[in-house]
Amino acid sequence: MKRLMDRRSFGKTLLGAGAATLASPAIFGLNAVAQIRRGDELVVGIWGGAQERITRQHIVRPLEEKYGVKINYVLGGTPERRARAYQERGRPSFDLLYLNIFESRQAVKDGVTQAPALDRVPNAKFLYEPAKLGGYGVAFNPVTIVYDKRKASAPVTSWKDLWKPEWKGRIAWPSYPGAQGTAGLLMAAKIHGGSERAIDVGFQKIRELKPFAAIQGSQDQLYTMFDQGVADISIEFGSFTRSYAETRNPNIAIASPVEGQALAQNVACPTVGTTKQALVEAFVDLHLGEACQMAYARETYYSPTVSNLTIPPDLAPKLVLGDEVKKLVDFDWDHVISQQAAWSSRFNREIAG
Amino acid sequence: MRSGRPLTGILLSIPATAWLAVAFAAPMAVVALLSVQESPDPFAPVSLVPSLVQFAAILGDPYFLRIIAETIALGLGVTAGAVVLGYPLAIWLAGLPAKWRPYAFAVVLIPLLTNVVVRSLGIVLLLAPDGLLNSVLRPFGMARSAGFLYGHFAVAVALVQVFLPFMVLSLYDSLVNADERLKQAAASLGASGPRVFFGVTLPLSLPGLRAGTTIVFLMSSTAYVSATILGGKKVWTTGMIVWQEALQNLNAPTAAALSMIMLAWGIGFAFLAERALRRLAPWLSPDRPRSARRFELPAGLVRALVAAGDVAGPWIGRALLALAIFLLLFPLTLVAVQSFNDVPQATVAGFRAFTFKWYAAIFETGNYLGAFRNSVELAAAAVLCSLAMALPAAFALVRYGYPGRPAVVAFWMLPLALPHVAIGVGMLRVLQWYVAIPPFMGLLLVHVVLIVPFCISLLRTSVLQLDEALEQAAASLGAPPWRVFLLVVLPNLAPGLAVAGIIAFLISFGEVTVTSFLTTARLTTLPVRIYAEASFSLEPTVHAVSTLLILATVALLALVNRFVKLDRVWAK
Repeated sequence: MKRLMDRRSFGKTLLGAGAATLASPAIFGLNAVAQIRRGDELVVGIWGGAQERITRQHIVRPLEEKYGVKINYVLGGTPERRARAYQERGRPSFDLLYLNIFESRQAVKDGVTQAPALDRVPNAKFLYEPAKLGGYGVAFNPVTIVYDKRKASAPVTSWKDLWKPEWKGRIAWPSYPGAQGTAGLLMAAKIHGGSERAIDVGFQKIRELKPFAAIQGSQDQLYTMFDQGVADISIEFGSFTRSYAETRNPNIAIASPVEGQALAQNVACPTVGTTKQALVEAFVDLHLGEACQMAYARETYYSPTVSNLTIPPDLAPKLVLGDEVKKLVDFDWDHVISQQAAWSSRFNREIAG
Repeated sequence: MRSGRPLTGILLSIPATAWLAVAFAAPMAVVALLSVQESPDPFAPVSLVPSLVQFAAILGDPYFLRIIAETIALGLGVTAGAVVLGYPLAIWLAGLPAKWRPYAFAVVLIPLLTNVVVRSLGIVLLLAPDGLLNSVLRPFGMARSAGFLYGHFAVAVALVQVFLPFMVLSLYDSLVNADERLKQAAASLGASGPRVFFGVTLPLSLPGLRAGTTIVFLMSSTAYVSATILGGKKVWTTGMIVWQEALQNLNAPTAAALSMIMLAWGIGFAFLAERALRRLAPWLSPDRPRSARRFELPAGLVRALVAAGDVAGPWIGRALLALAIFLLLFPLTLVAVQSFNDVPQATVAGFRAFTFKWYAAIFETGNYLGAFRNSVELAAAAVLCSLAMALPAAFALVRYGYPGRPAVVAFWMLPLALPHVAIGVGMLRVLQWYVAIPPFMGLLLVHVVLIVPFCISLLRTSVLQLDEALEQAAASLGAPPWRVFLLVVLPNLAPGLAVAGIIAFLISFGEVTVTSFLTTARLTTLPVRIYAEASFSLEPTVHAVSTLLILATVALLALVNRFVKLDRVWAK
């Protein structure tokens, strides 16, 4: 008599069925998180202005059309959304948060945002090294010296040129904390033999530059100061200043100091505890894609963080690409952020006061 | 002033107290608790053992003490400036025929419709090295090469511009209720204009002055947006430090401790203003009148001052009026001009080319219309709730004394004295509760908390000047209390209610600090939207938005005035 199944094959079938039964909840679990469902809503915290416009066009619209999801923006600067994200740690109301370079790394350490998962975001394999920490770097925005070339006896080629007597009383020093102010403080220390761990020389050298024409708190404020002739030189994002020089004030030049420009970055940070992991990763993937990165490069002169783009020759000199990325001066941001409270206290008293 | 039954007073006080207890006491308690925490770490567990470490650090540090002193001085300076410029404006407003008052109101109120970021830009253009002030002073050799920007003067000018409308409306509230016949009697006895002002108008307007100075001082000493834009980071106020500690350094305990110190001096000022009023206007106290120890100058000096005042007074008054109107309106004309300017950023001075594209941009991009609708709905709801609570509270304040009333009044005024940043930080900690309720309700709760002190303050001035004889006459003719209220009290309160309602609407409409903490993706208000734009780069679209708002308000006022007899609203 032939049985349907002999004992060995029955045993194998049983083993297979058992394994499948044990594995099935995991498969369902994976589906629940790793799949994008129609009707999902994503909450993204991002800056307004051109950032909102570009990302809506190149990320939000394709995603909404492709998956039938809804993407909502909460607009603003990083301070409010970072404070909220910290308060909501573990139960976030944002799924994705845009922060700057040092805020993002601290947020990962504090368990508020996730470290990047480079294998789950296809375009992340093209990221430059500095853009892989603390989240997904989406734009390089180096900080450098910007100045009125009519007032300069010679083009500015070094960070040390700030200490030349011709600029005395005409400097708008960037406020601290902030990307520009941090870069200014750290570079002041570095070129005079200090570092982020030996910062006193930085404060001392900046004090030597007093009195300042003003302390500037944002690029808009600085450009007004340039327009009004209140100041002639400052430390600022090269990208915005280039737009400003091209559209408003051709007298402003952007320096390329020999010591290098200071690194600053916009970073996309998925929050810990988000329930839309796959959608977040799809969003970031599109941000790192060619369309979005090129749009930023053309409209705001942000330098791309991915290396697989073909930049037209008229745009390339205005950006920081390829090997030049390695020359950007990076710092131990973990240490820098841990000192922020102490340094801002010193800054308020010794420099801004 | 007769005193009513204490029980009625307590009942009338309940709505305002209950709302504030629910919506304000929680964040307030959080701020108080945070201020006695030792560790600045954002994730440190909250310890219930109070520690005065934060207060010691602040009060023992000469830097903080200097900033506190500078902030208080700035507040006092701005208040003084607002008084000097506000009186001519308020007197002019109260003296206009009722037909023209809505337009004059527009002059005073329209600055409040423009976003504070946008208005500050107008002041920048005024005080810049190539700006108007320098051009006027240059022939006299008093121009400054660096302009007048980025210092305490610029911040003070900006703050006076921002808060002048509040002072004017508080004074107007008092002046419009003053009896014309008293002024006529003084004039008929031979008093000149300045003498009538100092002898009759000023004393009669003291309640309004008290409300105005309290509001302006509290708001200007906690302000930080204008200080940040116009101070160039050379000017530091305690409000800016609270913001920096709470949001950039994530150090809530220090921010909370500093907020409690600001609260203390705010309460101190309100208390002193109250005492000054009782001393200077003893006829208003419901308690038994104390003999007023008047401050007497030597007679010769008085005669000399009066003579000088008679000659110079009217001219000084007119000059101040012109200066006040200029300060309010000039930045706005710049805003309107800039809205047609084809430049990439809002801060560019100098007209490049004419364009309508910013107006087109409002309707195309960025959902300004949705944010505007949210703002209007929220403000309207907030005004209705606030007035409904503030009116009984004002009556309780003026007519129905009960033990413990001063403490209750102090509680009502607390939201004014606590910096909005601190309220926002406190809100964050109880955020999970707020997230559980619908976003509109959450924002409404907060906005009413912020508005109610203004409404109570202003309505108190109006109720103080109600003529009780009219109510008694109505009662003696057989009208039940509700009829007396409806037909006698409310119409007499109409100007006060209108003023309080308008101010409340404008404050809610322009509120950005606390709202930006609670905003969700679906419920954004217009000022938060504009503030978000400013976080990146401000385009002239915001100027177009402001200009449209101004035009819409003026049109609305004109329309309403045409078809509805609102004379009673503007004047008694």
